[in-house]
Amino acid sequence: MVELLAQTCLNALYAASYMSLVAVGLVLIFGVMGVINFAHGELFMLGAYAVVALYADLQLPFLFAVSAGLVFVGVVGLGMERALFRPLRNNPLGGLVASIGFLMILQALAVMGFGVRMEHVPPVTQEVITFSEKVHLAMPRLFVIIAAVILLTALWAFLTKTRFGWALRASAQDPEAAALQGISINQTSRIAMFIGAGLAGVAGALTAPLVSVNPHMGHSVIVTAFIVIIVGGVGSLEGAVVAAVAYSLVHTFVTTFYDGVIADIVGLSLMLLVLIVKPTGLFGTADRA
Amino acid sequence: MPRAVSHIAGWLGLAVLLIALPHALSFSQQEVLVFLTINVLLVASYRLLTLTGEWSLGHVVIMGVGAYASALYSKQLGIYVPVSIILGALTAVLVAMVLSYPLFRMKGFYFLIGSFAAGEIIRLLWKRFRDPFGGPKGIKKINPMPDLDIGVYSFDFFEPVSYYYFALAVVTLSLWVMWRIERSPVGLTFHAVHWQDKLAQSAGVDVRAYRTRAFMIASGFAGLSGALLAHYIGTINPNSFDVELMVFVLTWAIVGGTATFYGPILGCVVLSILNEVVLRELGFEQMRPFIYGLLLICSVLFLPNGLESVVQHIMRRRTNVQAAKASRAGDSARYNVEERTEP
Amino acid sequence: MYTKIFKDGLSRRRFLETAASAAALAGINTRVLAADKVIKIGFLAPLTGPVAAWGKPGLDGCQIWAEQVNAAGGIKLADGDYMVEFVGYDNEYDPAKARTGATKLIREEDVKFVMMLGGDTWPGAQPVADRTGMLFSTLLPSDLAPDTETLLAPAEVHPIYNVTGVEWLAENKPDLKTAVICAQDDALGLPSVATYLAAFEAAGIEMLEEPLLFDPATTDFAPVVTKLIAKDPQIVCLDTCYSDYVHPIAEQLFQQGYKGQIISCTADFYDQMIDKTSVEFMEGFIFQFPDFDDPALNDEAINFKNPNGFFAEYTKRHPGEWGAVSWEYASIMDLWKDGAEKAGTAEPAAVLAAMKDGGRGLHAFGTADWWGEDLFGIDNALVGNWPVVVIENGKARIKAFKSIPEWYAKHGDLLKKHMAAYGQMWNQRG
Repeated sequence: MVELLAQTCLNALYAASYMSLVAVGLVLIFGVMGVINFAHGELFMLGAYAVVALYADLQLPFLFAVSAGLVFVGVVGLGMERALFRPLRNNPLGGLVASIGFLMILQALAVMGFGVRMEHVPPVTQEVITFSEKVHLAMPRLFVIIAAVILLTALWAFLTKTRFGWALRASAQDPEAAALQGISINQTSRIAMFIGAGLAGVAGALTAPLVSVNPHMGHSVIVTAFIVIIVGGVGSLEGAVVAAVAYSLVHTFVTTFYDGVIADIVGLSLMLLVLIVKPTGLFGTADRA
Repeated sequence: MPRAVSHIAGWLGLAVLLIALPHALSFSQQEVLVFLTINVLLVASYRLLTLTGEWSLGHVVIMGVGAYASALYSKQLGIYVPVSIILGALTAVLVAMVLSYPLFRMKGFYFLIGSFAAGEIIRLLWKRFRDPFGGPKGIKKINPMPDLDIGVYSFDFFEPVSYYYFALAVVTLSLWVMWRIERSPVGLTFHAVHWQDKLAQSAGVDVRAYRTRAFMIASGFAGLSGALLAHYIGTINPNSFDVELMVFVLTWAIVGGTATFYGPILGCVVLSILNEVVLRELGFEQMRPFIYGLLLICSVLFLPNGLESVVQHIMRRRTNVQAAKASRAGDSARYNVEERTEP
Repeated sequence: MYTKIFKDGLSRRRFLETAASAAALAGINTRVLAADKVIKIGFLAPLTGPVAAWGKPGLDGCQIWAEQVNAAGGIKLADGDYMVEFVGYDNEYDPAKARTGATKLIREEDVKFVMMLGGDTWPGAQPVADRTGMLFSTLLPSDLAPDTETLLAPAEVHPIYNVTGVEWLAENKPDLKTAVICAQDDALGLPSVATYLAAFEAAGIEMLEEPLLFDPATTDFAPVVTKLIAKDPQIVCLDTCYSDYVHPIAEQLFQQGYKGQIISCTADFYDQMIDKTSVEFMEGFIFQFPDFDDPALNDEAINFKNPNGFFAEYTKRHPGEWGAVSWEYASIMDLWKDGAEKAGTAEPAAVLAAMKDGGRGLHAFGTADWWGEDLFGIDNALVGNWPVVVIENGKARIKAFKSIPEWYAKHGDLLKKHMAAYGQMWNQRG
């Protein structure tokens, strides 16, 4: 039983890691630009396909493929900001529809380029850390956990220690006041979109060898990410991380001790409960949107 | 009264067109027409909800509630189908009433996501409880509308043309009711709740009660559209009402524009015909999602006020020309006042 | 490394080629000479969206089938030879679109036969089938019911053939006595769970836990696998999981230190699974779908035409896409062609009568019986032998063809019991 608990905690830790990356990116984009990026799951998918192309097909080093995935998806994010979200800045619903259109295009491109079937990504390493006979942690999962910790720490340092970071947080809290302070909304939007998209991309890239890479893989990720950011409070980056950990723990434990469908119902009910008790989420303060 | 005459002539012309329409179409286009008619009701009811400023992601699931309820009433309890359709719509109203308690604690983005969660829970319940909802496979062999002979026309409701006339009658009536609601004091308060939330509140309007009322009315018509769908295709399952269809409804409404009554309907008709008829006929069977996505982006970028703004533009030009003529005839004052009150 | 993209990568990653083939799909009739007489066959399945993997590869297989048949002179009917042409309609796995598609194919394209994936989409198309008397086929026999007289399930009687794998396992590894099973909670997973439960009970293998159901949207399978192997089973059964699940589950089993027997309905792209785990781990993995380059398929009893050639052509055109769906629709076409040629006409009623003539049909894996009354209320499923495939040294090999009717004669009541417990008998459905 102790072993089962330990293994379940390790499982939850991994789930929390990649979900934090996705959710923090989504929060950042929403916070700074006020737009709900429905294509966020597809950015995750794009990161995974970057690894398929660079690591699986071209056989470049995995670490390089992941970094390239981060940059590539980040640049796609810049493109989205420039072409879609900036012209639609005063039209949040338009931004929502544009992101839906964009996700359909990304899915169709993935189908055209790679086919409808799932892709094969060879394992980076088959090493497994064995704690006991029934408690294991595969190295690729450990990579995801370590990478998430490093990236989120770096993001935290960037946001609190640099001038750009201050500007970003200021406009996330109150875009109008930030604009009055002379902070360029275009610039903060660019930075937010690059980081937000890049984090989704790197999460997809890191997990590509561990999940089924297919053109529709973004869907289940975006649903979970929405739950996480709502529970955490829509404007709050810390909230997103805490909620990702909490949600992953609950979902993993319910799956292990009951079943997956119940776990989904529990997850959604939990989110509704949070919304009813504290409609701004656990860490949310400002009444946005 | 030339204006009233041209008005009546316009509506009569539209009626004749809608009645004659199916006979000009191919068989599969007639099928598309039936689903389109039902979706028009769905998207028009969605607009009623958005009048109060709230955008829901659970509307399609509410449509499903109407569909499941009507299917189960007719199948399990043997209730006469037209009656079960009405009961299905009422069930959707009831479910909306229950949901409104938690949901209307939230606003804006939170409401959007909260309504999505509530909808997903309902969908998971359909999946999970095989009795009576049929689990992931849903309900099959739903009783069809009983055939009807009214002398001048004999309705065989399997045939798309017959069902189209039936759906057209129901949808027209519903649209008229929604139009009356919007024009009533209640409807005007919906607008006020949207645009002047705080002001309406300070003027003694119970904002939440009005939001709830709009939500329930919209849900009733959504449930009605679901029931219409269920008794036509004869099968429903949880995936028929998933977020993908919701995304389509959302895009119809936004691409069409929600400032006018006809905007979302226009969006629904134009986008559906493009996706289901034009792209398929052009041989883009497998490329449709790509092209559809591109169309969505282009429309919000280049038509930020929706397709309705194009229509308004044309109408305004026509009105201006007419007004110019009318003023020359020295009869402009009354005319202009009436025209300007149009949204 | 560049050689790899140019040899493998570029041909596989075929942006341009896909665009070209999409265009070619529309104009496929250009390949058939205008002077030829043509029979159209409808292909009504998901071609886009999340379920496209169950439709599109089948259409690809059918195109190869049509080219091979047309090159050999086409369909020989009483009034001359006909070329075959497939007309696709993307139903997006939606019943309403299936209804529209069926109407279009039958009443506008004038097709003589419609192949479907089935499942959610069949009830949408059924009223059209009833009214027009059109002959339909499905891959999912759970669509069959007493009133589906023009619907055939001629390719696979999913999930009944899964009993053959368990039977072979019990005969060849009699010391394995405990098992667990997991499945996605949907229309494919549940009847399969019931079948495996019956097969395990018939073989005297004990289930350690209730079947573990997971939501089809699951992406991380670590918790599922942790729970699955918590009681140290000797056999892990993966039910009829899609390859999107089979792969990560197998990988998790490997990473969490499981070393026992695995049995599954499918193992599409098993080479990738071996790559993610190890040859040793996958050794002895039992499933039900052979590669068509298997020498055992050259046996005289096999009715699928030229399996090795079909496999070679398919993997040449669509590298890395071979799976069960690739050949099943084509194998249905073999059966239909025989029926039509026997009847001398392509008219649906006559072809149906010819196909079912004598109660036996030429199934891909050997002559088989039209059967199903007990489970589906109608004898429209073609049941005979089914291969048991085992991975040996990294390659799938057919180890035996086992008879489903023989198993059913002995253990039919068990199957009915478990099917009823999962609400899967025809009179419990819908």
